[in-house]
Amino acid sequence: MTGNTIIELIDVEKHFRSFVALSNFSLDLKEGEFFSLVGPSGCGKTTALRIIAGFQEPTSGVIRIGGQDMRAIPANRRPTNMVFQSYAIFPHLNVADNVGFGLAKSGLSRAERKQRIGEALEMVALDGLQRRNAHELSGGQRQRVALARALVMRPKVLLLDEPLSALDKNMRESMQFELRRLQQSIGITFVMVTHDQYEAMTMSDRIGVMFDGRLEQVDAPSALYAFPANPKVASFIGGMNFLPATLLNERNATLSIEIAGLGSLDIGMNPGVTRHERDLLVGLRPEQLYIGRDAPTDYDVTAQGTVTDIAFYGESVRYHVQINGVPEPVSVSVPNYFHTVDFKRGDAVWIAAQGASVIDLGTRSDNEPTKQERKV
Amino acid sequence: MTRLARFAPGLRAYAVIYLLFLYLPVLLIPLFSFSEGTVVAFPISGFTFKWYGQLATQDTLLQSLVNSAIVGAGTAVLSTSLGLFAARAYIRHDFPGRRASEGLVMLPLVTPVIIVASAMLALFLLIGLRPSLLTVILGHTFLTVPFAVSILKSAFEEFDPSLEEAAYDLGESVWGTFRRVTLPIVAPGIVSSLLVTFTVSFDEFVLAFFLSGDQPTLPVYIWSQIRFPAKLPNTLALGSLLLGFSVLLLIAAEFFRRKSRNAIAKVKG
Repeated sequence: MTGNTIIELIDVEKHFRSFVALSNFSLDLKEGEFFSLVGPSGCGKTTALRIIAGFQEPTSGVIRIGGQDMRAIPANRRPTNMVFQSYAIFPHLNVADNVGFGLAKSGLSRAERKQRIGEALEMVALDGLQRRNAHELSGGQRQRVALARALVMRPKVLLLDEPLSALDKNMRESMQFELRRLQQSIGITFVMVTHDQYEAMTMSDRIGVMFDGRLEQVDAPSALYAFPANPKVASFIGGMNFLPATLLNERNATLSIEIAGLGSLDIGMNPGVTRHERDLLVGLRPEQLYIGRDAPTDYDVTAQGTVTDIAFYGESVRYHVQINGVPEPVSVSVPNYFHTVDFKRGDAVWIAAQGASVIDLGTRSDNEPTKQERKV
Repeated sequence: MTRLARFAPGLRAYAVIYLLFLYLPVLLIPLFSFSEGTVVAFPISGFTFKWYGQLATQDTLLQSLVNSAIVGAGTAVLSTSLGLFAARAYIRHDFPGRRASEGLVMLPLVTPVIIVASAMLALFLLIGLRPSLLTVILGHTFLTVPFAVSILKSAFEEFDPSLEEAAYDLGESVWGTFRRVTLPIVAPGIVSSLLVTFTVSFDEFVLAFFLSGDQPTLPVYIWSQIRFPAKLPNTLALGSLLLGFSVLLLIAAEFFRRKSRNAIAKVKG
């Protein structure tokens, strides 16, 4: 990833009659990065992508691509190309004519066009299917044709609208790696919209998390995971237990806190949130908690509880543990490693956590903690 | 057999009788057109093609056939072009007054044609347009736009709007997108609309009677001939040809309509 800005969105607003689709939306995208916009459906992520593409005009705000103001430039003259959610393969054209569609006005000779089409198809591992008809292609092949058709234009930015949502699970996972590899080999900026936070995390250099038309946080996947800006982001990216805590002491970048039902410990300060009261909200990732029959000695806080629910995920097992003094059951995720852990409902267990894995989410009253806890 | 049919066997008989009642009189026309006698009555006296043969020698008839073809073709092209843009707008865009406009476009289907015809005649005379084939084309276009719009609307309903966006995104102009993507994809719908609107215009009598002046179309000519009993067998032969021709056109139109739907459904997977 290089540092030069390729796309700038400054204070972009988009209103549809009284509905605010994008509000105060500012974003810098770098040359050569894989950027994802994630959020629940209706959060405005697709609108943001369509504004970059030029299919929609912002109500107000500035958009620049490569330093050039795009407000007067329609979609057909922007240095961006789009891979559509439906792939939008032209049904009346074969693969080569689909891929070569945008080259018609390029002034290239027939032979040059043919070569460019071949190169693009090679990039997506479809070379040799030039004469195939659109309706003879599988879902995965259609997606590759859509990619080749956009990449043959050599855009500065490739826009992808839920590119993997129409594929089945296995195909989707292999395409995640392939898209990432493709992006790295050609080195252009990819901007992807997805509702799947795991897809965004596995593929992206940076992720923008959106709720209700607002960009809540932009960060690398690991930073989003470790330092979510608020409970909404915390619960959207990965699973999260939200626990009330009291601030005891604050010095440098360390907070001494007491978590109700668990005990007191020191945690790192989250630079993205504010603390103006003693009542805090903290987050604990389910996979960062210890669970066992015996009390561990090397953890900052320990507590005893009872298993109330078990969910088997294959690669991991999720336990819900009720602890005295903790308002809601705590969710603990354990890798399914040679079946070393196996608790039954009603079992008495020990739960423990390290201060390093507790996430500071700031003053409790600032946050309407989302009750919903995300599945892993 | 559906449950309803099993419990009410009379319904099946009713449906058959109903259809016979509807179509039998129509089928009598071709039947009597082969009869040697000039009176329409059973028993049929002898079998002949002579009435058909005579048709080719009647100049006024041939002229009215040409007139009808001109009117039909003009109407088909005009109402299909208008219908194409209207249908696309109705399906693709949501604009103030869309529903009202859609209702208005469909209105000719239920307005009494005789009222429309006399109003149009008055209007055309008022603006100095003398009754001619042109005025018939204008009248028929009014009448057939609803058919074109509904056929083309179903073509656009099956049509993924991302296809047009993709073409535009790939650098095509608005017109280029229409020509290279929209037209080829809705082409079967367009053919279907051309055939249906041509057929409706070709068979239409009331508007043509009011607006054609001294250039009668085929139905107007037929009407003028019915008054002469001696010409009746000729008219029956002509009517039979017209009937067969219309049915063929409509079958072709339905074929294209289904083809368009299937082609798009296939790509959608």
